[in-house]
Amino acid sequence: MKQGAPRSVYQHSSFYSLIGLPGLLILIVLFIIPLAILLFNAFVDDAGTVTFQRITSIVTNPYIIRILAFTLFQAFLSTFVSVLVALPGAYLTSNFEFKGKRLIKSLCMVPFVLPSILVVLGFVIFYGNSGMVNRMLIQLFDLNEPPLHILYSFKAIIMAHAFYNIPIAMGLISSYWERLPVSANQAASTLGARGFTTFRTITLPRLTPAIISASTLVFLFCYSSFAIILVLGGGPQFTTMEVEIYREARIMLDTNAAAALSVVSIVIALCFVAVYSYMQNIMSNQEEFTSPLSTRKRMMGLRKPTFAAVFLIIVYSMLLAIFVLGPMIAIVVRSFQAPLTRTSQMEFSLKWYRQLFGFSQSFLFTSAITAILYSTAIAFVTALVSLITSTITSAILCSLKQRGRLLTELLAMMPMAVSSVIIGLGYHIISSRLYGSTSWKMIALVMAHVVIASPLVLRTILPTYRSILPTYMQASMTLGATVSKTFRKIEIPLLRSAMVTGASFAFAISMGELNATLVLSDSHVITIPIVMYRLIGSYNYNAACALGSVLILFYIIIFFIAESIKRKKYA
Amino acid sequence: MKHRFLSLVVVILLISSPIFTAAQKEQPYQQDNAITVYAYDSFVSEWGPGPAVIAGFEQSTGIKVHLVSVGNASELLRRAQLERNNPRADIILGIPNGSLGQMRDSGLFEAYVPRAMNEIFPFLHIDPDNVFIPFNYGVFSFIYDSDHIDTPPVSMQDLLDPTWKKSIILMDPRTSSVGMGLLEWSYAVYGENYISWWTALKPNILTIADSWSSGYGLFTQGEAPIVISYTTSPVYHIMAEDTDRYVSTAFEEGNALVIEGVGMLTSSKNKDGAKAFIEYLLTDAQSTIAVANVMYPANMTTELPPAFDVIAQPKKLLSIDFEILVKNQDRWLTEWVEAMSR
Repeated sequence: MKQGAPRSVYQHSSFYSLIGLPGLLILIVLFIIPLAILLFNAFVDDAGTVTFQRITSIVTNPYIIRILAFTLFQAFLSTFVSVLVALPGAYLTSNFEFKGKRLIKSLCMVPFVLPSILVVLGFVIFYGNSGMVNRMLIQLFDLNEPPLHILYSFKAIIMAHAFYNIPIAMGLISSYWERLPVSANQAASTLGARGFTTFRTITLPRLTPAIISASTLVFLFCYSSFAIILVLGGGPQFTTMEVEIYREARIMLDTNAAAALSVVSIVIALCFVAVYSYMQNIMSNQEEFTSPLSTRKRMMGLRKPTFAAVFLIIVYSMLLAIFVLGPMIAIVVRSFQAPLTRTSQMEFSLKWYRQLFGFSQSFLFTSAITAILYSTAIAFVTALVSLITSTITSAILCSLKQRGRLLTELLAMMPMAVSSVIIGLGYHIISSRLYGSTSWKMIALVMAHVVIASPLVLRTILPTYRSILPTYMQASMTLGATVSKTFRKIEIPLLRSAMVTGASFAFAISMGELNATLVLSDSHVITIPIVMYRLIGSYNYNAACALGSVLILFYIIIFFIAESIKRKKYA
Repeated sequence: MKHRFLSLVVVILLISSPIFTAAQKEQPYQQDNAITVYAYDSFVSEWGPGPAVIAGFEQSTGIKVHLVSVGNASELLRRAQLERNNPRADIILGIPNGSLGQMRDSGLFEAYVPRAMNEIFPFLHIDPDNVFIPFNYGVFSFIYDSDHIDTPPVSMQDLLDPTWKKSIILMDPRTSSVGMGLLEWSYAVYGENYISWWTALKPNILTIADSWSSGYGLFTQGEAPIVISYTTSPVYHIMAEDTDRYVSTAFEEGNALVIEGVGMLTSSKNKDGAKAFIEYLLTDAQSTIAVANVMYPANMTTELPPAFDVIAQPKKLLSIDFEILVKNQDRWLTEWVEAMSR
């Protein structure tokens, strides 16, 4: 089918242009304008005249080129490893029905939204020199020295990125995969194709949009990672662009240099995203058929796995479970441990939870409880708003012509490509322009969370949206439904699964967001990550682990609810 | 399905509305006899000195204080600069001495010589024009875990010894102020030869973290027995965890200094209130600040809890003149990265 052709029936409908307005406004006011003000500095010299000298001196600086090369290299490798390892997992969770599947799928979403300091702590408590794994091995084999030296090396960087991203890639791909009809696979096996041939020739090509979508996300995530890279990599031999931007903006207080570095960094990141998106546009052949019934059909259509397959499945799942759950469990375990006396070993204790939630203080609500209330409320609103704006953006993206489509998609993905330090400076600009009232700040805060969460929600909804068969809409309109009615009655129900996933992501991202909240809230709004940040800043790592465990619990509940909603049959 | 969705929306709005309206009830910024203080987040935090200091000040003077967190210490000056045209703060609290050059150049601050100035340690008087008023200081120090080390390092030179192979956790000066502090410290000790100290130190470094938080977290989780922090860090462990396991060191070459200052904005409409706040900060609030910040008070007459008595006393305090700092900071960073990333 020719690109863009099928939707041309209602391509010029004013409905799609109108529903896009609110989302566009949020993006412009809270993201584009502050960003433009900041990045403008890159092109102005000290005398105030326009110059490209900053940019050219960056792209010709061998040190920056070396950093850029490393940033890209580690991002590619991390993406490759994450997506490759995620594929079997996505296969399992989308093709088999087993006990605890919902819990596993919920647990999978958690790492991606964990604050990096918690991931660092979790990794260290689990894999570190005196971590759980090493201590267990020492006891088992009666060793003197820790046998495993995993951390503080390049492989630790890839491992930590994989920890973050395997689960998310798995979630994204599997939520697409479980909607793929099995009829083509059945046809292939009727024609005599073996399992792998079917996978290679039928399933893989049709999965490509979801794989590319997930890869783009993972790539951008790893591209802008820096805390993980410095701490777990062992130091400055592993440096990303983000660190240099941080240096200029925070340590040297040189906004112009930071802006110039950001411009280069954003342009390069977006080039890769553009290539991905372009490929996806070409490859999404829009012949897929997503129907709620297909899930059940595919279960029936599958052959029983052989013994060897079962064995492989078990081994893979166990390894993945240890890898992904280990660091998270380490945080939870640590939060229940405290030395009882000055010299004793760590023992089970609720000390840190009592510190967080104890009513010993004079005020009724401890800050931890207030923070939980604030976080949930903000996350609810954020999830709702970003769900609406992202669904609309997807609708617009699919109705646009090829060229405009790519541009809009890049614009929508921008918040992920821009350095968090630069976005942080943007929040300062917004915050310094906001007068007085705290409720305005609350609104700005929620909107900032929406901007941060949107790229991810979009990545979840877009591939599914693209795969909706246009004949459905055409049929609907032939039967007399308006464009908006078709949108509500046909498209939205077909998108339900992806929308639920997206909304739960937005919820979780908002709950875990620190930087924007710190700058925009003026200390009147305290959220879970802010309390955690303050605990860590005042030496109390164990109470931070306890609050981190609460956050993990919240994440699991949210994703579990999401999985349950997705499973419900249509009313 | 549709009704369920609608009821979900209603429930969400019901849950969130009290919080949003509660937020609305906050007092407006402009108020007679009130001042607005911008501080870094850990000062404002309930575990920080902010709440107690403000309550004490309001009670003793009747002046209302709006304490606002603007994030990191490094973001304070930037916020003041961004609000140049519509300034709302009277006081900026927590500017590190490393930013003294930028603070003076901004032209936003007014000089003030507090009455309590003669009680402030003389070595904290780093700004001849009194725009930067010191209220709190820390001394960088290598902290060791006495469960793993019996004979701790005694000097910068000692740290190069092969006994400490992969035993030291540091922070990156490009992203951490503590990291920058150690870089300045090495320059204060070795001058232009500082890079050779760093190259020799390399085998002993376990990792160079992005921030003090992650670096110190690694240390308390037992990843390595030595970490760069402040001489006062053990005070927290003694007072809050009742353990003297972590011990600070005073080096033979001396230890480097970090000073936190407060500044009054020229644009302030309530300078009397701002001055009263600075006076209170330098006298009655000193002990509270020192304990909650786990740092030293600037006022030498301050009484401190006994936990402060047992920590290492620096043999010599090192600091670099801010003019040298401003001129060389970027070069040091570039040379450091060049040396360390090989």
